Amino acid sequence: MKNNDVKTLAKGSDKAVDMVLKLLKEKLSKYNVRISRAVANNLIVDVSRRHLRDVAKIVHNELGAYVRTCVGCDERNKNGCFAVYYIFGLDDYGVNVIVRTLAPANDVKVPSIADIAPGADWCELEFRDLLGIDVTGRPVYRLILPEDWPDDLHPLRKDVPYGVRPPPVKREGVTLTELESPGIPVGPYHPALHEPEYFELYVEGETIIDVRYRGFHIHRGIEKLGESKLTYKQIPFIAERICGICGFCHSTCYVMAVEKAAKIEVPERAEFIRAMVLEIERIHSHLLWLGVACHLLGYDAGFMHTWRIREAIMKLAEYLTGSRKTYGINIIGGVRKDINKEKIQNVLRTLNYIEREVKELIDVMLSVPEVKRRLTGTGILTKGEARKLSVVGPVARASGLNRDVRKDYPYLAYKYVSFKVPVYTEGDNLSRTLVRVEEIFESISIIRQLLDRLPGGDIKVEKYEIESDKVSTAAVEAPRGEDIHFLITGKGRPYRWKVRAPTYQNIPALRPMLREQLLADAPITIASIDPCFSCTDRVIIIEIRNGKIVNAKRINIVRLSRKR
Amino acid sequence: MKFLKLFVVAKKAGTVTRKYPFEEPLITEEFRGEIKIDPEKCIGCGACTLICPPNALTMRDEGNVRLIRYFVGRCIFCGMCAEVCPTNAIAITKEFELATLDTDDLLRDLLHKRVKCRICGRPFLTTKLIKYANKDIPGSDNYADVCPECRSKLSIKNILKYRGDLDV
Amino acid sequence: MSKVSIDSVVKALRKSVWVFHLNSGSCNGCDIEVLDALTPFFDVERFGIKLVASPRHADVILFTGPVTREVLPKVIKALRAMPRPRMVLAIGSCAVGGGIWYDSYSVIGGFPKLKKILMEEGIIIDRVAFVPGCPARPEAIIYGILVLLGVMKPKSKKEVVTIE
Repeated sequence: MKNNDVKTLAKGSDKAVDMVLKLLKEKLSKYNVRISRAVANNLIVDVSRRHLRDVAKIVHNELGAYVRTCVGCDERNKNGCFAVYYIFGLDDYGVNVIVRTLAPANDVKVPSIADIAPGADWCELEFRDLLGIDVTGRPVYRLILPEDWPDDLHPLRKDVPYGVRPPPVKREGVTLTELESPGIPVGPYHPALHEPEYFELYVEGETIIDVRYRGFHIHRGIEKLGESKLTYKQIPFIAERICGICGFCHSTCYVMAVEKAAKIEVPERAEFIRAMVLEIERIHSHLLWLGVACHLLGYDAGFMHTWRIREAIMKLAEYLTGSRKTYGINIIGGVRKDINKEKIQNVLRTLNYIEREVKELIDVMLSVPEVKRRLTGTGILTKGEARKLSVVGPVARASGLNRDVRKDYPYLAYKYVSFKVPVYTEGDNLSRTLVRVEEIFESISIIRQLLDRLPGGDIKVEKYEIESDKVSTAAVEAPRGEDIHFLITGKGRPYRWKVRAPTYQNIPALRPMLREQLLADAPITIASIDPCFSCTDRVIIIEIRNGKIVNAKRINIVRLSRKR
Repeated sequence: MKFLKLFVVAKKAGTVTRKYPFEEPLITEEFRGEIKIDPEKCIGCGACTLICPPNALTMRDEGNVRLIRYFVGRCIFCGMCAEVCPTNAIAITKEFELATLDTDDLLRDLLHKRVKCRICGRPFLTTKLIKYANKDIPGSDNYADVCPECRSKLSIKNILKYRGDLDV
Repeated sequence: MSKVSIDSVVKALRKSVWVFHLNSGSCNGCDIEVLDALTPFFDVERFGIKLVASPRHADVILFTGPVTREVLPKVIKALRAMPRPRMVLAIGSCAVGGGIWYDSYSVIGGFPKLKKILMEEGIIIDRVAFVPGCPARPEAIIYGILVLLGVMKPKSKKEVVTIE
């Protein structure tokens, strides 16, 4: 599939889409499929449930596509069916292949493709929970909704109001009798965690053999609010508050998806400003992660110094946008705040300060014996496993996969700047740290290039029309990985809005990483994928040893302070 | 022994603490704090209540007044209300010291008196909104203080009178 | 057992309170500002405040997040484990009024609604202070703690203006 044509191709262009269209027609000729073009670089392949698994096998294995997400949608008032969209991404061409299948309302089930493409595992359980579409051919369990939610009420269906409050349902827990080793419960409120998540670590001596995780404590019903209460103009503000650390990426991604669907031409100056603020957010997030990693390793001096340097970025962000975090400058059609000469001088001065200080501090930090020894060789994720699970972000780049949305599916002003994507091959905690450190310096260089070439002009478009029934996707490289939003437009507000945050794809990678690890290495390994559970809102039960899924008894919360 | 260089780094950084509340806080000039609605300029149209994402600004018609309520507790300090107000009545201040012991202290109410309809006597819109709407529209004084239902009845009566179909 | 008024106990607890951070489903914006208050720029430790590992050791609980349905029983357990006098600082627009998602199906609606549920369970909260902000600045959090402890008087008051 790789030939000279592909190497010189402009990714995401019309020519690339035509090449993929031809390729799909040739490979899928013996199945009864209909291929059509959607907005921008998206192709929709309509296939019946009977041939779904074969088509998925061809697209995922033969064409080498990565699973990005899958979305369920209630389209009963359009065509009497529930629809499921599986989004595959072809990184070499910069094109998305969306495989759509319909399930009629009286036979709501689809076959599972989780054994062909393990990256789609959680998404299937999600649309089973929230929409009631049954998935056959795999073990199923409740993923997202609270434990005391009734079984037959599915919030994302169009006939369920957004404020429904059903009375709680009592459930019986099953005690674990098959595993003999003791389980150590961590959370939901634990000094090592900042968010409520529940881990149970099953150990033999000091080695972990099993992990059970119940998350989704932060599920707030954002997608339902976006589809039934809020309008197009209000959603950027709720999207920004999905996560307090990478919020600007979510609001940029949503706004880009709407602009692609409505064919709005955003002025170039606004694209430059958005790219600059995205890079500022990346620097702030990586510095935050470095501080938290040092704190978990017991090196508190590193924590204090990293956050001292990070304060300069927070002050800069407030000066540019009006708020330290959750900036609120994205609107459909552009940005709200402009940049002038004085602000540019301030940015350049702050960047010089940060570059100097971070270089000196990292030099010292990585030469501390305890930091170096605890990071090297722990939490290894091999390249094969990373590819199978479709991981994203620094986790993928530290395991040898060269994936970066800024290069593969170019967006905003990134086509005007040149930068390097750091890739390491060892796959341990130290490589993930080094990838993030290098990205800080690359971001500083990107901002300098953007400010150099900043064009003049307007910063927003005032008049636009948004048509209904357009399918659109947009992806952004958040500090933690690839963040993708899927949108079907409706009248006045979206018909379906789906957010897939990067930590979604990365948490299943904890299973191979924690296998046969010492208990003391578990916190830094879990932190090394930079989990952001408020982006994720998901639940997973990971069983390492025997692959069976059981429900655990709700054990009382025991405070263990194992860090120091 | 390279990690001992941390002492050099620490000495160069010095003391950076801002001893708030005895010193000034770290605020820049672009900071968005609490909003303030100017009672002289507000006309009671409710545009701010339609755009507010968390519904911190709400509007309710009860009895003789139209109540515009600003609940600081749910405000997300985005500043969209200041952008959509047609009379620029909303100003964004830099106030962030808003902590209280009771959520009632976080309410700011604005009560607009409503005008009574000349014909049926029911209150319908605020005085200022009627004045604002009539500013640029000539010749609408006949209908300015009449509520929408009575207005449609009155205009049909006037059209029929003009055409001579109605004897009055 | 002699009855001690809550005001006299609060007066005695003016210095060096120990805090526990409880996140009931927030987006992490207010939580990183709470951690930021510990870092050298704002340095809350000069008041003697430190983070502790368990609600049983805590004097004040820093509460963030609109209470989600999944986390409700766990928050009740954590608050029950706190010894009297229970003082709570509700930080951020989610904890004070429920935030942007105050009427969603999966959200209870912030600390005022939680307080009613706690009263029914028999858990008494002695003193609460509310800090609006999205996210709440570290300086606002410091001001909020000083208001909670009674060191400073709150500036904000209910305003009603009538227009003719």
